[in-house]
Amino acid sequence: MNSSMSVKTMHRISEIFKFLVLLIFGVILMAPFIWMVSVGFDRTANITMPFPPRLIPEEPSSFNYGIVFENGRLIQSYINSTIVTVSSVVLSVSSSLLAGYAFSKGKFKGKKILFFIVLCTLMIPMEPRLIPLYTLFNSVGLLNTFWPLILPSIISGMLIFLCKQFFDQLPDTLREAAQIDGAGEFKIFFRVYLPLAGPIAATMIILSFIWSWNDFMWPLVVLNNIDLHTVPLYLASFSQENGSSLGGLTMALATVSILPIIILYLFLQRYIIQSIALSGVKGE
Amino acid sequence: MANNRMEANTPPPSVSPSIQTVTKTTKQKKRTSQWIWYIFLIPSFLGIILFMAYPIVESLRLSFFKSNGTIETFTGLDNFRTVLTSGPFWNAVWNTFFIGIFQVIITIPLGFIFATLINSASKGKNFFKVIYFLPNVTSIVAAAMIFQFVLHPEMGIVNFVLDSLGLPTPAWFSDPSTSKWGVILLAVWHWIGFVIIICIANLQAISKEMYEAAKIDGASSFQQWLFITIPNMGGTFAFLLITGWIGALQRFNEVYVLGGPNGSPARSIQTMGAFIYERGFTGFEFGIASAATYIMFLIILVFTFINLKISKLKL
Repeated sequence: MNSSMSVKTMHRISEIFKFLVLLIFGVILMAPFIWMVSVGFDRTANITMPFPPRLIPEEPSSFNYGIVFENGRLIQSYINSTIVTVSSVVLSVSSSLLAGYAFSKGKFKGKKILFFIVLCTLMIPMEPRLIPLYTLFNSVGLLNTFWPLILPSIISGMLIFLCKQFFDQLPDTLREAAQIDGAGEFKIFFRVYLPLAGPIAATMIILSFIWSWNDFMWPLVVLNNIDLHTVPLYLASFSQENGSSLGGLTMALATVSILPIIILYLFLQRYIIQSIALSGVKGE
Repeated sequence: MANNRMEANTPPPSVSPSIQTVTKTTKQKKRTSQWIWYIFLIPSFLGIILFMAYPIVESLRLSFFKSNGTIETFTGLDNFRTVLTSGPFWNAVWNTFFIGIFQVIITIPLGFIFATLINSASKGKNFFKVIYFLPNVTSIVAAAMIFQFVLHPEMGIVNFVLDSLGLPTPAWFSDPSTSKWGVILLAVWHWIGFVIIICIANLQAISKEMYEAAKIDGASSFQQWLFITIPNMGGTFAFLLITGWIGALQRFNEVYVLGGPNGSPARSIQTMGAFIYERGFTGFEFGIASAATYIMFLIILVFTFINLKISKLKL
């Protein structure tokens, strides 16, 4: 009786200890965000950062946010990022659904070798393709447009792979039934399998969205016109112009650029975390 | 009678053609369904040809030419010789490896420990998951922007904490000898959420029966962690090592924000990606940049294969 009590209390103590460790480390991870929001509300932080750091500014003001929004470039960059991201997501998800389905349910010559080629694209990084793609889009006069950011999304080895794995789990009997009714392959795909692909489509949309929204090196190369800058490009150019001065403005800008993504993440966290985990446990 | 016989006789001849037509149509269908599948693949393979195969071949060709995008002259292996004897290139390789190695060997064990803590917590599991993953959803560009201030030598919160604990306060991004550690801190902060999520997903895949059997044998929870959990996570660690290392070799965004294309201060944080960007798009030396990308590409491939061999992962 006594020993079981002590085991229980030991267990409770270790639980509390675990919780505290997790909490402290969580606060450390969140500290940059908390400080960012605080400094963003501090007008004086543009001259020197408040030191020692404090959670609530001495004279809280929305001055920095006012400036960030008055300068139309942030909103413009949001519009640009949205156009690019939505188009890329639509293109990559639809082409990958088609290919993933064909690799899962199709019977055709060269299926294995073609799928191997798709897997090979996973190993090709962006850097060696940077210059030829730049000259390619330059030669057709599409530099400083959104096309170079959108069109290459048509191929995504990762999305095809995830999609194939999903369709592999769906039974072939659905196809056979529809075939007896005389439905063609496209009809079978659109009427029978696509309506069942909701979960994997959501995952693909989330992954494709994150990749496209955060893309930096390639947009940096093809977009010189500041009116076309996406959010990461605008942030980088702002940061390069001001370095570590204008802390208040920089932090307000960082807050405004991160906030929508964080809100989206908080609403969809279950799906986002699942998607990331799915793209990561592919080894099994 | 005659009619009956007729009726009895008629079926066979009428059946056999119908069977023939059936087999014929299925054959035709098979043939049509053969080529119809290629239509499903057209968009993706158009993309592979235009945006993968062509650039990778063209880049190899370019690496044998002196080129600024318009004028080209064949120079053989000159570009490779230039890159491989260039101090800044090897400096960039060193920086990339240094940052990458420490990112990986710090984040994977740390992330794994926190993943097991979160996984075994009785309360707030989901809350901690969400919190710990938050840095990973913010773009690395915005994160670098914040870290410029977080790690500010005089006004940053990190040095404030270090100072109040009586520890030395490094100059981080203002000093070439500490700037790489600033990038490593940023990388750990940004990547640890990913490591935790992947670890938790795989921890939950370990069968509960093993733990129950161990409990019956009287194994403590630490022993269970050491002898069941860790051996079962081998594949996960290998996966994280591969993805983390390959990602690290391609590091560009944050060092561009923190130090520009030449990785200031004093090229101390210029990565291979930044070297390629500097030569290709600020100097417009396409041939040299292409040769450098190919060397980088080969480095990445070699490590991918080494990693695959070590981890015996099937791709």
